[in-house]
Amino acid sequence: MDFGSFLTTPEIKIKIITYRDIFQDKAMRENRFGEEYKNLSAVIKLDPADLKQLNVKKGDTVILKNSFGRVVVRAEESGYETPHRGIAYMPKSPWSNMLVSDETGGTGVPKFKDISVTITSAKGEKVTELSI
Amino acid sequence: MELYQMLPKTNCKKCGKTSCMAFAVALMARELTPEDCPPLKEEPKYKESYEKISEIFKPSEEATETGLIVHEDLCFGCGNCVVACPPNVANDPYGVGSGNAPRNANKLVLTVEDGIVRAQNLGECRRFGKNKILCNGCIVTCPVEAIEFV
Amino acid sequence: MEKNYYVCTGCGLLCDDIEVESEKNIVNKVYTACRVGVAHMKETRDEAGFRVDNTPVDEVTAINEAVSILKNAKNPLIFGLGNSTDETQKLAIELAKKINATLDDTSSFCLGPLSEALIQDKLKTCTLDDVRNKADVIIYWGTDPSDSHPRLLSKHSYFPRGSEKQRGWEEERTEIAIDVRKSHTAKICGNYFFQIPPKGDAEFIDALIAGLSGKLPKTSYNYPPKKLLELANILKGAKFGVIFVGRGLIYSIEDLEPLFKLMKVLNEKANFHLIPMVSSCNIVGFNEKLFAETGYVNSVKFEDGTVKHGPEYSIVESLKAKTVDAALIIGTDPFSILPHSIVKNLLEIPVISIDHCETLTSKHSKVYINTTISGVESGGSATRMDGVKVSFEPVFETNHPSEEVILKKIMEAL
Repeated sequence: MDFGSFLTTPEIKIKIITYRDIFQDKAMRENRFGEEYKNLSAVIKLDPADLKQLNVKKGDTVILKNSFGRVVVRAEESGYETPHRGIAYMPKSPWSNMLVSDETGGTGVPKFKDISVTITSAKGEKVTELSI
Repeated sequence: MELYQMLPKTNCKKCGKTSCMAFAVALMARELTPEDCPPLKEEPKYKESYEKISEIFKPSEEATETGLIVHEDLCFGCGNCVVACPPNVANDPYGVGSGNAPRNANKLVLTVEDGIVRAQNLGECRRFGKNKILCNGCIVTCPVEAIEFV
Repeated sequence: MEKNYYVCTGCGLLCDDIEVESEKNIVNKVYTACRVGVAHMKETRDEAGFRVDNTPVDEVTAINEAVSILKNAKNPLIFGLGNSTDETQKLAIELAKKINATLDDTSSFCLGPLSEALIQDKLKTCTLDDVRNKADVIIYWGTDPSDSHPRLLSKHSYFPRGSEKQRGWEEERTEIAIDVRKSHTAKICGNYFFQIPPKGDAEFIDALIAGLSGKLPKTSYNYPPKKLLELANILKGAKFGVIFVGRGLIYSIEDLEPLFKLMKVLNEKANFHLIPMVSSCNIVGFNEKLFAETGYVNSVKFEDGTVKHGPEYSIVESLKAKTVDAALIIGTDPFSILPHSIVKNLLEIPVISIDHCETLTSKHSKVYINTTISGVESGGSATRMDGVKVSFEPVFETNHPSEEVILKKIMEAL
């Protein structure tokens, strides 16, 4: 039990791994400024136990925050059989890119698959709009 | 049968069959549609059953005599099922059998049109007919279970 | 019956067996292509557009403004070209030389190092046709082709029959997935799915090498040694093995050393090849051309006839250090694909965006020029992810200019 779950708005530390989703890609090519692309991209897939600890139901919005950015996305259950508490999955998108660090060690390669955020319930706040 | 339980079971014969059981069989064989049962369609007490049965036999899903249903909103258009389907390969070995576009799409059971798989010529499907077998080529090769047999 | 096949430029597979029905410059039906390919070929087209400072202008004004930006820049950046035809890429390299620009593409933060090693012949590779005809053991490592290159399994790697693989996928091919989550591809691989923790790839490779050499495979995360030995045995028996490598693996290892070690051992015991899962239709073409021209695959700076190279000339480092003072972005959308923490610096310099549709980048550019979709509205050639060159003709021609035409005009005016 970490201290975060005793706060009135529980927050947990999560590592995010990004992945490719074919329907999100299709929606981007059809209309990257449309609702369908937003609905398929601004999503985070969590372990059900993490959802419970956050007091969030699937379909609710959550805030993802770190020192590089803050976005509001929809929380969903990952549906993976193997439990993966502390790890969550997001389709690679401008939303996930808001949270990627600018640390590259001079290599020119950002840490795309090494994103750490704290996640809390957004209490009804709407999904962040697509913008810069 | 679950399907029979949802029918009026009055054997009124308005559909042209001698009993509701016969109507249930005809529904499964695609000979009749839910609309062919007037009491089911019109009477309010059967509304829920009518809606449920209509869902199962939605014509747009192209469920067929082999019971093959394509969930179009799940399909990737990846073509795995097209290339794995045994009658497809037998009818077009150098086309879809080798992973390419069909040489003659009319002979095939499964093709991809506009990014979604389409079933046709189900007479050729191995699950149909006198010597039918439980072929599952298109089910196990699909990444998202977009094809299933009911 | 003569069939007219077109080429889909939607991803790195460059499928060349697509039938298209079109009428009056609108694509009505696309056969055989996957969901992404269909969406790519059917993209709705507005009228040809040119914008300067968010105001519609004509072609001449837009080109002149672009030329003026490039002329006044002390260190311009040219970036993108992953979706451009060979002809466009050649022009872009010439342009970069002419204006002493920094030139880079998306491979500098994706699979660049791997493509470089393959072009330099440091690793064994093969074509996708070889995979179809000969491959018996195939590994998808850190990649999910079912989502990124949907037809890979059905056109080339698992299901099709090939000249030496005629009895079908069930009997003659083994597909293995190594990933951190059970992706769609992993589901198809069934029992041959090896799930490892994030960043666990380097250790897994070491353990696999130990297993291949008959030693006990150990990892700090206690991956079941029995399963690892099973995998090693399958690999040892491969007559023509192929590993498809994606960004999941590349981002997890510090450099390519573990891969070099693994391929060396695999080729001592069996016969293995490597293919990178390149995402866009002509990144390989760009890497090859730039290599032929300069000896490097990306991240170069041209300066009065000399070429400098290094990560400092990649788009990421250039933006971080704010060394570039203007940008010509061709066929890509950095504001979507790069971290915001880095790409926000692009807002401080004038940007010329040349693309076939509106993107986040085009909306924040000083100059925006709308161009054709290659393979649909303009022809050319491109190089597939396995290095095979594919030529294509347009389905129909529209009034949109091609990237090639625009670059030619910019070069003439300079």
